[in-house]
Amino acid sequence: MAATDRDSFTLVITGAPYASQAPQTALAFARAALEAGHRIDRVFLYGEGVHLASALSTPPSDETHWPREWASFLQAQEIPGIACIASALRRGLVDESEQRRYELSSHNLLSPFQIAGLGEWVEGRIKSTRTLYFHGGS
Amino acid sequence: MSTLIVIDQAPYGSWAGREALDMTFSLAAFDQEAALLFTGPGVNWLRKAQQASEIGQKTVEKNLAAAPVFGIEAIMADRSACARYGLSEASLIAGVALVDPGPDLYRQYDHTAFAG
Amino acid sequence: MAEYPTLHILNKAPEHPRTAQCLAALAPEDALLLIENGTLLLATQGVPATCQLFALAPDIQARGLRVDTKQMKAVDYSDMVSLSLAAKRVISW
Repeated sequence: MAATDRDSFTLVITGAPYASQAPQTALAFARAALEAGHRIDRVFLYGEGVHLASALSTPPSDETHWPREWASFLQAQEIPGIACIASALRRGLVDESEQRRYELSSHNLLSPFQIAGLGEWVEGRIKSTRTLYFHGGS
Repeated sequence: MSTLIVIDQAPYGSWAGREALDMTFSLAAFDQEAALLFTGPGVNWLRKAQQASEIGQKTVEKNLAAAPVFGIEAIMADRSACARYGLSEASLIAGVALVDPGPDLYRQYDHTAFAG
Repeated sequence: MAEYPTLHILNKAPEHPRTAQCLAALAPEDALLLIENGTLLLATQGVPATCQLFALAPDIQARGLRVDTKQMKAVDYSDMVSLSLAAKRVISW
């Protein structure tokens, strides 16, 4: 693979918060990558990983709020956070436009996460120096 | 840049295999080289004559039969996993190649991914 | 950082079927990085001696594991970043 002036990553999270360590490991990895001067092209949530984008997640106050930790990191670093549309809709993760399209009672996608197709993963796969997966543990 | 998608979870009892297939077909849709490896209980996706309508699901036999048309290079199954689950070549759907997964197989691909 | 044909990242407990798959896919010139529940392998007799072995220090500490530094190297998240770039390919099991 051709070396670029700046190495870049696509991070795919397939493990859900509070069911796996995946969101924590991925966030620590992402911070370390930025500190080393690398770029994160995008974070893609797939399968159970889409639960990280729930605006309704309410862990006890003495536990880390992984969705908010991730949301503020993505916002501050201006990194696109994308939940796979098929994974998200199956699991009840919906943005405003999908709410209208399917005439649902509400939407619950945490900003700045967006909903998009697997093409975003394929593009990351092609563009980024490395695509890394953070899976559930069970 | 070739990608190997590995399916190691049994059909119907979880959605991981289905979501791995979606990944494979979307690679193919974007003209990216992709191959599938079924291993562990995942080889049960490849058994002939599945009928899942009474459990409210769809079988994937037709999707897999169409895989070459979509440009998916290979459908491979772990030989020892097939033996464990009583899958002879005659009981497998058409177009499946038996392989022995190990360093040599994974090294043929730039990228190896599981759906979860 | 040395180059490896493949960096294997294992986050599953030793009894998980994917641990066996991962260990079967290791080549002598590869590197294995144990993270999350994968670090529990260090508490068993099943630690592979065939390839370069790394384990994520925060996960080792979280689980109260003792490590044999002759057997493996404890690393942090920035080492995980460098390892993933040093290897030609990365497989997350």
